[in-house]
Amino acid sequence: MAETYLSPLWISLKTVMTATAITFFLGIAVARWMARYSGKLKNLIDGLFLLPLVLPPTVVGLGLLLLLGKHGPIGQLLLHIGTTIVFSWPATVISAVVVSFPLMYMTSRGAFEQVESDIENAARTLGAGEWRVFWTVTMPLAWPGVAAGTVLAFARALGEFGATVMLAGNIHGKTATIPIAIYFAVQAGDMKQALVLVAIVLVISLALLFTMSYWKTRASLFKNIIRRRESVN
Amino acid sequence: MLDVKIRRKLPGFSLDISFSINQEILSILGPSGSGKTMSLQCIAGIVRPDEGYIALNGKVLFDSNKGLNLSTQMRKIGFIFHNYALFPHLTVDENVAYGISHLPRIEVTRKVSRLLDSMNISGLGKRFPWQLSSGQQQRVAIARALAPDPELLLLDEPFSALDTVIKERLEFDLAALQRSYKGNMLFVTHDLAQGYKLGSKMAIYNSGSIVQFDHKDKVITAPATSVAARLVGFKNLYEGFIAETNEKYSIVKIGDLEQNFKVITQNGVKLNINQKVIVGIRPENVRIVEHPGENTFPCTADQIVEGVSTTNFLLQINPGSIIKNYIECILLKSDAPFVANNQTCYAHLPPEHLVIITG
Repeated sequence: MAETYLSPLWISLKTVMTATAITFFLGIAVARWMARYSGKLKNLIDGLFLLPLVLPPTVVGLGLLLLLGKHGPIGQLLLHIGTTIVFSWPATVISAVVVSFPLMYMTSRGAFEQVESDIENAARTLGAGEWRVFWTVTMPLAWPGVAAGTVLAFARALGEFGATVMLAGNIHGKTATIPIAIYFAVQAGDMKQALVLVAIVLVISLALLFTMSYWKTRASLFKNIIRRRESVN
Repeated sequence: MLDVKIRRKLPGFSLDISFSINQEILSILGPSGSGKTMSLQCIAGIVRPDEGYIALNGKVLFDSNKGLNLSTQMRKIGFIFHNYALFPHLTVDENVAYGISHLPRIEVTRKVSRLLDSMNISGLGKRFPWQLSSGQQQRVAIARALAPDPELLLLDEPFSALDTVIKERLEFDLAALQRSYKGNMLFVTHDLAQGYKLGSKMAIYNSGSIVQFDHKDKVITAPATSVAARLVGFKNLYEGFIAETNEKYSIVKIGDLEQNFKVITQNGVKLNINQKVIVGIRPENVRIVEHPGENTFPCTADQIVEGVSTTNFLLQINPGSIIKNYIECILLKSDAPFVANNQTCYAHLPPEHLVIITG
């Protein structure tokens, strides 16, 4: 009996954790690159990265299906090496990454752009290589923004429904995340199962909200430090 | 030894400079937007020049012909940014230690405390930059830049954000630093007095190029062009022709002042009769007298502004003429005669203080 509730919870947690981890590093890498990039295609690339945020999730899901499906270009490639992604657990991760990426990218890019380039240059003149500059100067200074982006991405991945249901479907014990399980439970008239799952989501969401507000106070504390530093000058 | 010869083109601005210094301190003076900071950034490797050559103590840092461009990290150049650019999330100790973290811990601790000591900020090591006054932040920035023993030190307007008292105190400290620091130093400023105090040579910048590069005393007594003259404090500049010249003095006919002026000829300067020149004088060298005489002309007081220890006069030359020409005059209060607004008086330009500019 408990399996009915635990399976969606377990799949959701696994999917969200994996997706957030991927989004975290991918978002930071791309944000860092775009914060520096000043080529002609900047606006176009920027728009492309943010597209999943404004498109309806079902449209994103359909796009992914066309790309990764049996007749899609990537799907064909995968078939050659004897595997398929559609209606498998990795599909839930891919959907979650695609829809949560813009939030991570947008927030951390803003945070990186706020870091004064003179401070990074100071580190370089002191002999620090790019890797050290990034981890000891840029990241600590951009951290409040990056952390906020991570929490937003986590929340978006947890709530993901449209793209996931298109690409991964509703396979119990395999691709049925909490939002999908709730939808199909209600459709099947199983209100009890739906409400228990809703309670689980509420707990996770509240925990998330607390994390957010914790980071917000940390961030504003940090901003105060910076502001005080500036007012001294 | 620092050799610099670089060009960099941007829309609406181009930098084209070349100079070389040997174990000395160069003050770079010029208006904002003249490329001073960009020059430092090029030398430090933060900005890449389009073409040219930079070498420091025999090591080539940049050579566009050979496609060589050493990264900032490899150049061993200390940079002091005008807003200090301290790491706000690190303590003073950690800031200063950042560039020497590869050394053994004991050595780092020893070096950091020695540097803080020499900058008179020992005891502040555990504080964060935002807990310091701007003067203290500046000292931390200098200590941090000195820690890795740079072969060249670049200072970008290091005093621009400080108030007068702290500025004067830091000037003494920086003068002491310059006596102890054995490398080359480049010091960007828009303040003539500061550039003169702290440098041994001076480069005058204007819209991306160096208009004069010489020993500081030469620059302030014999500016090469009218732009350089204006930048080193010759606020009064007038066009004229050489009417007479010999080894001791020259007579210059100045059109705006409608008369001839005697100017002591500078050593080694060759002038020709009828040569077009510019004659300049600093406001503090103009005298106000009661009677006409040599190098003296009538004017009326247009504006008088009293300062703490000096009085500034803006005198209109040739009262009654249609074209308004002015001469600026700054006198010590004790030397300033009483002149009322619009009162007629005589301005005297001492021959030994007049400078002939041929460029």
